[in-house]
Amino acid sequence: MTAKPKLSMYWAASCGGCEIALVNINEKILDVDAAFDFMFCPCLLDTKYKDIEALPDGDILITLFNGAIRTSENEHMARLLRKKSKLLIAFGSCAAEGCIPGLANLTNKRDILKTCYLDNPSIDNPSGETPKPETEMPEGKLCIPEFYGSVKTLAQTVDVDYFIPGCPPEPHQIWAVVETVLNILQTGAPLPPKGAVLGGGKSSVCEECERKKEDKKITGFRRTYEFVPDREQCLLEQGVVCMGIATRDGCGALCPKVNMPCTGCYGPPEGVLDQGAKMVAALGSIIDIGDLKGMKEDAIDKKIDEVISTIPDWAGTFYKYSLPGSIMKGRVA
Amino acid sequence: MKIGIYFCKCGTNISDKIDSEKVKTGLPSGPSELSFKTIDFMCSEDGKESLEKDIKENGIERVVVSACSPRDHENTFMRVLSKAGINPYLMQMVNVREQVAWVTEDNEKATEKAGRYINAAICRVELHDPLEKKEIDICPDVLVIGAGPAGLKTALSIAESGRKVVIVEKTPVIGGMPVRFEELFPNMECGPCMLEPVLGDILHGEHAENIELLTIAEVVDVVGSYGNFTVTVKQKPRYSDIHKCIGCGECIEPCPVSAKNIYNCNLSERKAISFPFAGALPNAPFIDEAICLKKKGYDCSLCKDACPVEDAIIFDDAERTIVRNVGAIVVAIGSDSYDCTKIPDLGYGKIPDVHTGVEFERILASNGPTYGEIQTSQGAAPKSVAIIHCVGSLDKEHKEYCSGICCQYAFKFNHLIENKLPGAKIHHFYKELVIPGKEDFHLYNHAKENPNSTFIRYNNIETLAVSEKEGKKIITNSADGSSVEADMVILCPAVVPTVESGKLGTILEATHDKFGFFEELHGRMDSTQSKIKGVYLAGTCQSPMDIQKTMNQGMAAAGYILSGLVAGRKLEIKPITAVVEEDRCSGCRVCVLVCPYKAVAYDTEKGSSVVNEVLCQGCGTCVAACPVGAIKGNHFTNNEILAEIEGVLS
Repeated sequence: MTAKPKLSMYWAASCGGCEIALVNINEKILDVDAAFDFMFCPCLLDTKYKDIEALPDGDILITLFNGAIRTSENEHMARLLRKKSKLLIAFGSCAAEGCIPGLANLTNKRDILKTCYLDNPSIDNPSGETPKPETEMPEGKLCIPEFYGSVKTLAQTVDVDYFIPGCPPEPHQIWAVVETVLNILQTGAPLPPKGAVLGGGKSSVCEECERKKEDKKITGFRRTYEFVPDREQCLLEQGVVCMGIATRDGCGALCPKVNMPCTGCYGPPEGVLDQGAKMVAALGSIIDIGDLKGMKEDAIDKKIDEVISTIPDWAGTFYKYSLPGSIMKGRVA
Repeated sequence: MKIGIYFCKCGTNISDKIDSEKVKTGLPSGPSELSFKTIDFMCSEDGKESLEKDIKENGIERVVVSACSPRDHENTFMRVLSKAGINPYLMQMVNVREQVAWVTEDNEKATEKAGRYINAAICRVELHDPLEKKEIDICPDVLVIGAGPAGLKTALSIAESGRKVVIVEKTPVIGGMPVRFEELFPNMECGPCMLEPVLGDILHGEHAENIELLTIAEVVDVVGSYGNFTVTVKQKPRYSDIHKCIGCGECIEPCPVSAKNIYNCNLSERKAISFPFAGALPNAPFIDEAICLKKKGYDCSLCKDACPVEDAIIFDDAERTIVRNVGAIVVAIGSDSYDCTKIPDLGYGKIPDVHTGVEFERILASNGPTYGEIQTSQGAAPKSVAIIHCVGSLDKEHKEYCSGICCQYAFKFNHLIENKLPGAKIHHFYKELVIPGKEDFHLYNHAKENPNSTFIRYNNIETLAVSEKEGKKIITNSADGSSVEADMVILCPAVVPTVESGKLGTILEATHDKFGFFEELHGRMDSTQSKIKGVYLAGTCQSPMDIQKTMNQGMAAAGYILSGLVAGRKLEIKPITAVVEEDRCSGCRVCVLVCPYKAVAYDTEKGSSVVNEVLCQGCGTCVAACPVGAIKGNHFTNNEILAEIEGVLS
């Protein structure tokens, strides 16, 4: 009997939701187990790093890597798993685009450590210690991974074969990818082109959203705590910043279905370079500030400001999931 | 891929600043095979010939022309590419003359800059797609909406060229407003007489058979685009046959019912069957079904009984829906007067003998309610008349613009009052006087020289009030406490868009300006074109204007149509347009309203936005707006633009 191909899953800077999403394929996990030797997953299995280090290069067929690259440990594991895996898949938004951990790129390492270890009201830190890779203690040298200056995506660190979007990826999409892989293994069908996004659509969330859509003009924005949005009409048309227009489809438009706006976790649609910039370009095109003819420039500026000031937290809204992977990558000054 | 880079020296214009040898040695090494040639004057006959020869002999597949502005010679070199047998869009032009040699002082910097631009062009041109112009069949016929001076001028010119024209007029009469005016400024010509040659030619002239006139009709639907519009018109029944009727008027006298005549501003009565006014064309009466006894179900046929022509009166005439195909549409629906009751202190509608300018025109007209006699409501000739200019014009509270024609007709009134009522006092209340033009000062001078005329300037119409005391009208100005008495008051209201303007704009998808006038493509360069290709604007539906400008716009519209839409010639569609990748379009409809040319529409059946190539100007607004990146700008694809940027920076 030939050995089953090896499957591994690793978490770097992430929340664990991706692992939950994987087991949410429910009983189909047994099919995964039947087809693969699921041999590494720190969240679920007790395999050690040294076990992985001991493997021959390329011994693992597929690694599902979730989490962004925040620390030297994250980077070390990314490089190690890259070496040991035939196919390295950035699994979920953190690995693919940086996601919530990536919002830390709006600030810097010094301020993050200051907020967490010095200014945090629940911390008693009289000597003002902040974590360092190496700290001399009476008991000996304490070594922890280095906390990097910024968050990177997996592909900004190592070569990545495929991407699976979502925060987290939806179980039905995970299963669709597993099925595709099984089919390739059984029939020898060609692999998708390198760099492809798997487990997502080619359009935007609106494609799957059943709300009624009209030609768009928006005179102002509202947040969902301010009113109960109509369940039939497009949320964006009701003035709610719904990122669905600039977000890859594949999730089944889950959030709009429960009357909440899409926040963009499936990342930019196919071929779109920068999700936040695209959203801003689209909103800029449909914001209606009325007739401008004959108006002075500063009056026009004021009108524009009045509308866009109703959108809170621009970076956190437009780049919630995609900041490290965007053109700007984070704060530049 | 073999890319030919052709560096034009433009005499010393370029070569004095940019060292072509250095540019050549600095060329990047990439996957493409580069060939660099310098040409002294590429746009000269010799230059073009050597470019063509080089492309042919060396099997060049893509071309970078480093020369002047593409505004100058992009088309020139595209034609050379076509002659040399390669697609003209496989060329990128680099403007090293205007944007480098002429503006960069330092020679070394200029050379480096040129090198970077050329590198950008190489990176870009590698990605160019061969694009083909398309051609579509067109319908050369024209729809003219509105049979006033502007519309008729257009219609006649188009008909004279042998084209078919459909004129849709909402009233039963053609000629617009001026045919209701006895005399016109600045030369005191008779309105109906001045327009008669045009009206006559429209109805019975040499080319009348090319004109289909639909009166009492309105456009209810328009689909399609430039070259191929399908227009639906609803025509209400006239109840008379304009071809059979001889216009004798025998039918009118026997008619037992009457109502206010709106064509005389409700200042007189009109029978259920009547002409709007004497001399109205087409010379056939119409029946007002709201009051006609026959139409109300009574057994009355007195008009038909009196008619000497068989079947000229048609009681069972019915509404018709008429569909016509046309290639272009001219909007010439005219304008209206500002509602004077919006300035209530002026007493309009409440105090007798307070009239608008148009009402006074009808009073002056020999075919009007008083047959040209100026009379007060008491039947007396007024001894004094106050004319209030700028009623609603030049006023931020009402209409900010100057209506441009009121001073002229106010001074015309001065002249006519002076003639008809010798010795009558005439008081001009004005905010500003506006009388430009080489002919237009005569009437002003005349009014100034009239010893019975006074000129009283006011600042704000809100301080003026008209009251009545013992039959006299008293005009007071609360700003200075002054007051003037008059027997009659004439208000000169602002020129405003008609109520139909909004609805028609929606049907045509043509935009309006903030005042509600139809919006022109460009205020100075293209005031006769709307923002919708193939929809033209003529006359006061675009802006207040006098008859001279109206006629000019009518001719301009005809000119655009005759030069752009030629029978037997196909319409060429340039390939630089937006293209929707239909299977990737999510149907979010962000793109539809951003298009300034209304070229983007959502197709419910396809579940995708679609771009009309005839209307698309390739501006790229929808490309930038599309949040899915499902719209591609031909010749300006994201990849081409990014490659160009990288080429400059590398």
